[in-house]
Amino acid sequence: MRPVSSQFLFLKTAALFGMWVMLSGRFDLFHLGLGLLLSFLVAWINSGHSPFVPRFQLWGRIFLFLPWLFLRIVQSSLHLTKLILDPRLPIHPRLIRYESKLKEPSAVVLLGNSITLTPGTITAEVNGQVLLVHAMDDVSSEDVTSGRLEAKIAQVFGERDSRA
Amino acid sequence: MEMLAVIFIVAGLFFLIVAAIGVIRLPDVFTRSHAVSLTDSLGAVLLLIGIAIYEGLSLNVLKLFAVLSLLYLQNPVITHATLRAAVRAGLKPWKEKAP
Repeated sequence: MRPVSSQFLFLKTAALFGMWVMLSGRFDLFHLGLGLLLSFLVAWINSGHSPFVPRFQLWGRIFLFLPWLFLRIVQSSLHLTKLILDPRLPIHPRLIRYESKLKEPSAVVLLGNSITLTPGTITAEVNGQVLLVHAMDDVSSEDVTSGRLEAKIAQVFGERDSRA
Repeated sequence: MEMLAVIFIVAGLFFLIVAAIGVIRLPDVFTRSHAVSLTDSLGAVLLLIGIAIYEGLSLNVLKLFAVLSLLYLQNPVITHATLRAAVRAGLKPWKEKAP
């Protein structure tokens, strides 16, 4: 027998069961019972593999970070729309080498993902803490080069940011 | 209510069209992928919000939000993979000519 953390097993079952209910949309005893049984089975089969520990506080802070990111996404989308529709096509694309101070790999992942999600900047290559960012123009890349995005993410992960 | 849904859907379509124009007008892989990222960041969001409003409060709205979150997780990965391949293949980004 594998060592099974009962708390973790419960969490996985709950998540899978939530997914089941959402996708099936039937609330009779048969479907709910079958869903519960199957989610428990899947959670139990998978319980031995994952070294992953749930970090609810972190997830909560990431969730609170999302509205800010979404606002920036909308703003830069409008900026990019203006660039594309301008008859003169005033773009100044460039590759920027950006060295991040974030220590945790998942923080760097979030940074790279946020950069790519924001229209006008894309992470082209990640090597440890060095990101290669392609930007449409200086306005789009401002959040990255000024370190504002990184400072936000450092806050989310509770890392001290030397720049802020 | 239906009016609001239509407004959202039309706004979403507008951004999809802008993205398509961008893909045609912009000069290289790098800048074109910027245009494509417009489709998911605003186009798809506005479209799905419009559909959610049209549907009213039901389980389908939850499914739409699941689609949305998947889109937001996967699209950066795809764009990043494309651009990384371009960088590794030695493509040089387009630069405006010095005047």
